Amino acid sequence: MSLVMDILTICAVSAGALFFLAGTVGLLRFPDTLTRLHALTKVDNLGLGLIVLGLLPQTSSLLAVKLVIVWLLVQLSGAVVTQLIAGAVRQHGADG
Amino acid sequence: MNSAETGNIGEASPARWSDVIGGAVIRAIGFFCFWLALTRGDPGDLGPGLIAAAAATWASLKLLPAEQWGFRPIKFAGFALHFFHQSIVAGVDVALRALHPRLPLQPGFVTYQAQLPPGTKRNTFCAIMSLMPGTLPCGTSGDGSLAIHCLDVTQPVVEQLSMEETLCMGALGSAKSDA
Repeated sequence: MSLVMDILTICAVSAGALFFLAGTVGLLRFPDTLTRLHALTKVDNLGLGLIVLGLLPQTSSLLAVKLVIVWLLVQLSGAVVTQLIAGAVRQHGADG
Repeated sequence: MNSAETGNIGEASPARWSDVIGGAVIRAIGFFCFWLALTRGDPGDLGPGLIAAAAATWASLKLLPAEQWGFRPIKFAGFALHFFHQSIVAGVDVALRALHPRLPLQPGFVTYQAQLPPGTKRNTFCAIMSLMPGTLPCGTSGDGSLAIHCLDVTQPVVEQLSMEETLCMGALGSAKSDA
């Protein structure tokens, strides 16, 4: 059983790391601030979700709760801060 | 014409006192459970935890006053599943675009007339939209419509937003009949 869980951990954490890599590639390659925000929020959220999912089988239940809380807080702050930055860029331009 | 000013669909009715107290108790319990998770339920930390939970409840009621949401647990669970699915689609979509050699992007703005009234519910909808594939709300235009930045404006963005808003309203109980 623990072998299955270890395989799940390896797969999920690796996939999560790949998504973080893709998000960073997007951050570097996308042409402007707003498209870069898409890359950061959506891909990194998925990457973090997969890493949390992969770590869950390896931890105690209390630590698992903490991991899920971290993921939820990052989702919440990501969703809110992205909109604030996007709104500021739309109103004042990327430099203002 | 301007649905944001004329349509009051889902406008929160003023909360009754019993609802306010009930909401405050639920929030306080939530904050205290959060504290217990952070401190491993150490008995020596319970006192400060109670104070922190009370302060957090006071702040949250100040910043986000209690509203009648007509919350529907089963529809909400369905919506949560849909949201997880869509965030995976969103992450994969952006990751593939970022890694694609030709960088297939058609970025641009789309305006969307939201049915939800300005306020907490519309903000919730916008927060969810910012994690959905291809869309990023960028604030409100002068006429009350939402400006949405899209990675690919050739996609049927408005139809997608309209569908998501209907689902969101069903889950959060914003339809008129729920009041």
